[in-house]
Amino acid sequence: MMLRLLSAEFLKIRKKLLWLLVALGPVGVVGLQAVNFGLRYDYLTKQYARDLWGGLITNVSLLALPAMFIGLAIVASMSAGIEHQTNAWKMTLALPISKRQAFGAKFLLNVLLLFVSCTLLVPFTLALGWALGFAAPIPAGELLRAAYYPFLACMPFVALQSWLSVTFANQALPLTVGIIGMIAAMFGSRFPDWMPWKWPLLVNAWHEPLYSVGLGLLLGAAVFLIGMLEFARKDVK
Amino acid sequence: MANPTWILETRELTKRLGGKPVVNEVNLAIGRGEIYGFLGPNGAGKTTTIRMLLGLAKPTKGSVHIFGHDIRKERIQILRKVGSLVEYPSYYGHLSATENLEAVRRLLGVPKSRIGEVLSIVRLTKEADRAVKGYSLGMKQRLGIATALLGSPELLVLDEPTNGLDPAGIQEIRELIKSLPGSHGVTILISSHLLSEVEQMATRVGIIAKGSLIYQDGIQMLRERAKSRIRFGVSDPEAAWRLLLSHGYQADWDRRQLSVDRTDDRTVAAIVAQLVRQDHQVYRVEEETASLERIFLEMTGTEGSL
Repeated sequence: MMLRLLSAEFLKIRKKLLWLLVALGPVGVVGLQAVNFGLRYDYLTKQYARDLWGGLITNVSLLALPAMFIGLAIVASMSAGIEHQTNAWKMTLALPISKRQAFGAKFLLNVLLLFVSCTLLVPFTLALGWALGFAAPIPAGELLRAAYYPFLACMPFVALQSWLSVTFANQALPLTVGIIGMIAAMFGSRFPDWMPWKWPLLVNAWHEPLYSVGLGLLLGAAVFLIGMLEFARKDVK
Repeated sequence: MANPTWILETRELTKRLGGKPVVNEVNLAIGRGEIYGFLGPNGAGKTTTIRMLLGLAKPTKGSVHIFGHDIRKERIQILRKVGSLVEYPSYYGHLSATENLEAVRRLLGVPKSRIGEVLSIVRLTKEADRAVKGYSLGMKQRLGIATALLGSPELLVLDEPTNGLDPAGIQEIRELIKSLPGSHGVTILISSHLLSEVEQMATRVGIIAKGSLIYQDGIQMLRERAKSRIRFGVSDPEAAWRLLLSHGYQADWDRRQLSVDRTDDRTVAAIVAQLVRQDHQVYRVEEETASLERIFLEMTGTEGSL
């Protein structure tokens, strides 16, 4: 059933520029770093002389984080907006599907789209590194961790934005929350460890990124469950 | 348990919004194969009732049984056999009609061939590959009906399917709906705020006003209430009225017109003869039929009269 719901979701986002947005995020992030490294090539290669790839990955991650926060808010808002536009909820939820699964499908769609975005960061970063003439070996582990750890630590926000976007027909509120999240994430390193906005930075007192990832997954699951139950409980507009 | 003769049955169905009952103890009963006209003025509680029938809204009190099963307990199994169109049609404007139906088809799990079938039933085959946002309201409405038919439902719930359509569009939807029970064997619940719209197709009607069901019976019973009267245009109606009363006729005089209940030709002739004999000038003898619409208005407008 979940697969059927997801295939319907993917059909519905056709011609909606959502895929373009998914690609545009990583293109923009890596593109800006291309400008950064292009303009300050000598300065930056001297600064990161010991680990050129590491320097590039750190810089890409730095930009990718706020992009991910605002991107996931927009993706969640657009995928929910498809239903809000003509209030298709009353049509979809009068079909023989459970409300929980309908909510789950929207959440999963957002997760998958964000996953594609984060995955695209890998080849784009590689391409930029090669173009800049960085030598092998490529730190594959570091690159993959930089792409997927923040994505996993971000789950509470994916769940929150999915929930807010399907709950409110007016997308101003979820988008505002998304923008505030983005700003908060930029100052994440100053927050105490328990603040979820800090987790995608993967910085904590134990110097173990997986703790941040684990916390993100746990809170993400909790927010998703609360959102799903609330969505199933309330009347359809 | 639910009565097996009814395909849809509600018991004391009530919905309160902010303490105020929007739907109040409604007992609907719809038999298999019927076209049930669910009537009421705007804001009477039709859509709220229909939302509860489909499990979109939860009743404050009371129950809904469809095919003998409780909607709260077996919602998904019930909805497999129900097609619906609630209020205005919902669609994905950026997609074509075919893609819209495909999105729903994937959830229903019916064969792909159904899409072509329902498109031809609502006569949208030629326009099927255009983006729906460019459709006229009538076409969107037809797409909504096609979506409702996609799962080959046994019960079709159509909430104001002709709302906002021009007379030609209304006629077209009406013909379409009338053709369904015969050719597809479905039971139809159709709501409307116009009696004239459903009286030609409904076999039974329920009338709701201010949240309460005030009438539920065959359309024939409603027609019988629409008794016609014989009206007399005379020179001195008040004197004529007294005259008729004194001769034992049940005449009515409401200070505007003089009338009697519809009766046979011989009695009418006798009344006219009586009036002429007493030197009344008779200008007109007319038969006046109260329209169903007027009865409907009387019922819904002044709830207390019933």
